Amino acid sequence: MSSLTLKAISKKFGKIMALSGVALHVDDGEFCVLLGPSGCGKSTLLNVIAGLIPQDDGTVLLNGQSIDGLAPRDRDIAMVFQNYALYPHMTVAQNMSFGLRMRRLPKATIKERLSEATGLLGIEDLLDRKPRELSGGQQQRVAMGRALVRRPRLFLLDEPLSNLDARLRAKVRLELKRLHSQIKGTFIYVTHDQVEAMTLADRVVVMCNGEVRQIGPPEAVYSCPEDTFVATFIGSPEMNICRGTLAHKEGRTYFQGAGFSFDIGRAQPELSTGEVEVGIRCDDIKISTKQITGLEAKVEMASNVGPEQYVHVRLGQEELTLRAPKDQTLHPGSLIHLTIDGNLVHVFHQGRRVS
Amino acid sequence: MKTNREHLENTIIRILKVTGIIFFTVIVAFPFYWMFVSSFKSLGEILLHPANLGLDIRKIDFHAYYEVLFEHGFLRYICNSLYVSLITVLLSVTLAVLGGYAVTRLHFRGQTFMSYGILVVYMFPAIVLVIPLYVVFSLMGLRDSIHVLILVYMAQTIPVALYMLRTYFQGLPLEIEYAGLLDGCSRVGVIWRIIIPLSAPALASVALYTFMIAWNEFLFAFMFLDTPEKFTLSRGIVQLAGSVHLSKQLVMAASVMVTIPVLCLFFIFERHLVRGLTSGAMKG
Repeated sequence: MSSLTLKAISKKFGKIMALSGVALHVDDGEFCVLLGPSGCGKSTLLNVIAGLIPQDDGTVLLNGQSIDGLAPRDRDIAMVFQNYALYPHMTVAQNMSFGLRMRRLPKATIKERLSEATGLLGIEDLLDRKPRELSGGQQQRVAMGRALVRRPRLFLLDEPLSNLDARLRAKVRLELKRLHSQIKGTFIYVTHDQVEAMTLADRVVVMCNGEVRQIGPPEAVYSCPEDTFVATFIGSPEMNICRGTLAHKEGRTYFQGAGFSFDIGRAQPELSTGEVEVGIRCDDIKISTKQITGLEAKVEMASNVGPEQYVHVRLGQEELTLRAPKDQTLHPGSLIHLTIDGNLVHVFHQGRRVS
Repeated sequence: MKTNREHLENTIIRILKVTGIIFFTVIVAFPFYWMFVSSFKSLGEILLHPANLGLDIRKIDFHAYYEVLFEHGFLRYICNSLYVSLITVLLSVTLAVLGGYAVTRLHFRGQTFMSYGILVVYMFPAIVLVIPLYVVFSLMGLRDSIHVLILVYMAQTIPVALYMLRTYFQGLPLEIEYAGLLDGCSRVGVIWRIIIPLSAPALASVALYTFMIAWNEFLFAFMFLDTPEKFTLSRGIVQLAGSVHLSKQLVMAASVMVTIPVLCLFFIFERHLVRGLTSGAMKG
């Protein structure tokens, strides 16, 4: 097992900057998730690490040694693809052992590794089948198994669960997490699904437009987003962002938005009083039933999502989303009062976090 | 509830369909049938009853085949044709696989130009090329040679073979190749162990196409070959037709021998042509 370091990786496709200056260090045994919207360069980054696409600039280091000059087959990296990419003309056993046979490992070793991996994944019965005779979930396991038997220095997983239906996905996600703790491998996992990222990752790397926007443990990325992109990309429903200005008054700081204003806590004179964006998670806005708070909002729509409801309201000229218990009756057009926990709001200046 | 009109329409369509099928079958099959039947008759039989289309099973006569094979040198021509066709298939398919893969997957300067330019070669009609090539090969002293024929057939078949394979390769998922590269294959290894097995249906049709072109080709064989020992089958038939004015059954027997191998190949490979091997490789 190994650590991976990326130094200033850049890649251009024609005029499009697919990756620009990506730097990252992944520790031995870490589960690192690359998270971002489609086309943000996360799969390209994975292909660069694997050596399938050469980078224009930068270095890939495995265990501190540059692997830039190595062909994919010499890098000792295994990859699981979104569409599994099983060899259709080979049986499951042949698929899984292909990499080992190519490396001319002794037959006994191949057999041993094969039975170990199939046992781990519960696919002992499938060995003689062809890929087209397998269900999606089984194909996914075989693809995983093909990587496992190799015992590579690094596992790359490119959206391995996105072709599974929702129920299976949740199940396989848990299995994957367990598998990682069992084999203690270094995993780099690409996804656009934030739930996968949050549940699987030791650390999340949020990417956008070929750049790394934030690296950190899932909790940190959620609770302390570095910029408005990360803030709105992570969390569901999306974080509310309001534009306005800050004012310091009597030892406290106030946010003045379009048609409303609220206290955001102790005065922080270092904060600029100019244009800012304030981000508020929908959990941090509460509907006040008793008192008049000065934040009067109009209910526009309530959507029931099962255990709770998302309420879309208009506060001043801003539209906000908040959560409410499912049994609370909220008619469109009715007026409600909100409380916003000022200590929990996120303040951004020109998109970057300032507080 | 079916109306009468609908019923009538369906009936007419069905009748037209059957008529059409019968019509085309007769047009295609009749000359072949006539050729086949005539080849089993004796010369006397043909001369006595030229309009007799039937074949009397008791009077089947293999003499024409014997005569053509052993007295008119067709055994030799068959060997020549087989040699030329098989070598052409082997070389054309090999080069088309490599070339088709290169223009599909490898990135190099002039890739698009190569990929389409190769078809331009095919646009020149053979008759335009045959005279200059005749002159060039004559000057080089290479003309009366089976190997030059192979070279010409390769030039004729590779463009289409490459184009067919290119289209097929483009449909193969890139990730399978990536998986192969990571699993320890070189580029050549990927082609040999993954691309070729997956392309079996396409390779079969390309091989069949190439074989048919090389086996049936007449113009270049006629122009380039002078020595009877080097004749291919189609060239041999012309020689035969020119030398035996009366013995139709000999020409027919020779023609059957040209036709049968191609037909057999077609029926053998036909199953492979339609079998899609990639199903199940990819999800979704």
